[in-house]
Amino acid sequence: MKLSRRSFIKAAGAVAGYAVLGVNIAKEAAAEVMDFVARRQNSVYAADANKKIYKYRKSQDNPMIVKIYDPKTGFLHDGPCGHESHHLLHTHYYDRSKKLNALKEKGIELNL
Amino acid sequence: MEGVEYSLYAPPVGVDSDTVQFVRVDEAKCEGCGACEEYCASGAIQSINDDGIHRIVDPVACMNCGQCLTNCPYGAIYEGVSFVDELAAKLKDPDTVVVSMPAPAVRYGLGECFGAATGTYVGGKMHAALRKLGFDYIWDNEFTADVTIMEEGTELLNRVKSQGSKDAMPLPQFTSCCPGWVKFAETFYPDLIPNLSTCKSPIGMLGPLAKTYGAKETKTDGKKIYTVSIMPCIAKKYEGVRGELDDGGFDRDIDATINTRELAYMIKAAGIDFNSLPDEDPDPVLGESTGAATIFGNSGGVMEAALRLAYEVLSGTKLANPDIKVVRTHEGINTADVEVPNFGTVKVAVASGLDNAAKLCEEVRAGKSPYHFIEIMTCPGGCVNGGGQPLDPEIRASLFRSTVAQINKRFRARKIKA
Repeated sequence: MKLSRRSFIKAAGAVAGYAVLGVNIAKEAAAEVMDFVARRQNSVYAADANKKIYKYRKSQDNPMIVKIYDPKTGFLHDGPCGHESHHLLHTHYYDRSKKLNALKEKGIELNL
Repeated sequence: MEGVEYSLYAPPVGVDSDTVQFVRVDEAKCEGCGACEEYCASGAIQSINDDGIHRIVDPVACMNCGQCLTNCPYGAIYEGVSFVDELAAKLKDPDTVVVSMPAPAVRYGLGECFGAATGTYVGGKMHAALRKLGFDYIWDNEFTADVTIMEEGTELLNRVKSQGSKDAMPLPQFTSCCPGWVKFAETFYPDLIPNLSTCKSPIGMLGPLAKTYGAKETKTDGKKIYTVSIMPCIAKKYEGVRGELDDGGFDRDIDATINTRELAYMIKAAGIDFNSLPDEDPDPVLGESTGAATIFGNSGGVMEAALRLAYEVLSGTKLANPDIKVVRTHEGINTADVEVPNFGTVKVAVASGLDNAAKLCEEVRAGKSPYHFIEIMTCPGGCVNGGGQPLDPEIRASLFRSTVAQINKRFRARKIKA
């Protein structure tokens, strides 16, 4: 079997990686998974819980939400999912599977 | 721009979004390592020859999430669409009223381009920078995240109440905030379209609200308003040019879409000293937001925000502690039974990544899904890890380090599942 360039790089990388990091990997793995994303996620939850950044924590308590849905004077006075909401804020979706099937007929294989 | 190449191409009004290549491979830079393939749920990015050079086989198969781009160790994947040039011209034009619409996750990534630690919150500085760049109204997509909760939460309650009646909309209800997921559902699971919430995403709502309600409140001529969606995402560029988003009465509801990296570039190009900016608030009316809105940036956030509303509506009582930690999702599929007084159990699921979404879709298709409400995010972890965010410096530090990082990542991922 011919060793492709791709599998060679992968194998070499794996050997080098385990050689260098073998000892530390297990320790790190238990501590934090996908560290980079976790830091951003934690920052989001910290802002949500920080009264200095967000005075309110529930959408229905936002004064500007109360204003826009005000039954008398609000722009969306007929409420969520009302007539004006349906016009501006709701939509329809389109079946795009035909274009996909055309691709598959050309012999292109996808994961699904 | 911030380590990623761009074609300065702004798709014209009326373009068929399915023919535009938002994510592209520079074949001269591709080393055939195949990292991109592992991050692609649909399989749109494939090896095209014996050297393993990759290409996106057709824009129809690509969900534009850009996970291949952010995980390419060689910087060989680039963006085919950028509104930066057009936006710069609009900002200079005195006859155009330019409106900013940044997504929640942008404020948790933007600081990284100016040397801040990963995840640093820079919302106040972001608003100040947008004002300095010349945006006329500093409106915020977080406001319409709150609107989305009102609309999508009410829709869910209506679906639950109407079960058993003749023209009831089906359960579970899927969220529709993530444009990669929406295209995925339309392409691979069109039979589940009735399960998708009919709500537009927050940005799909802010566009038309800016040109109608915002125009009215600020006494501005709606046709002068140029709306700029600022996203942690590449797929949002696709969503912005979708033909059906034109309910505000003018050409497009969303005139331009840029991402976090492009905003950082514009701030630098304008010579603004980002780190010394004061914290500023957005303009009211379409700017004020809540903690429920900001957590849209995380996987599980839309779910938690919706439950903060649904709990109070269904139970008729106040939710004392808004933290519903059980739905917070880092990766994979997360399911929960939420007990609501005076109602019963609300069954929910959150999926992060389209391969996980497919598992839940198969369950719904087979009629075996026990859930009321399912949230899907295309990018693992949610928008904070979107394809338009600043890159993880580990991935491109060097070939050696990037290979080690890849192995580490995979090893950790395996470890946690076991």
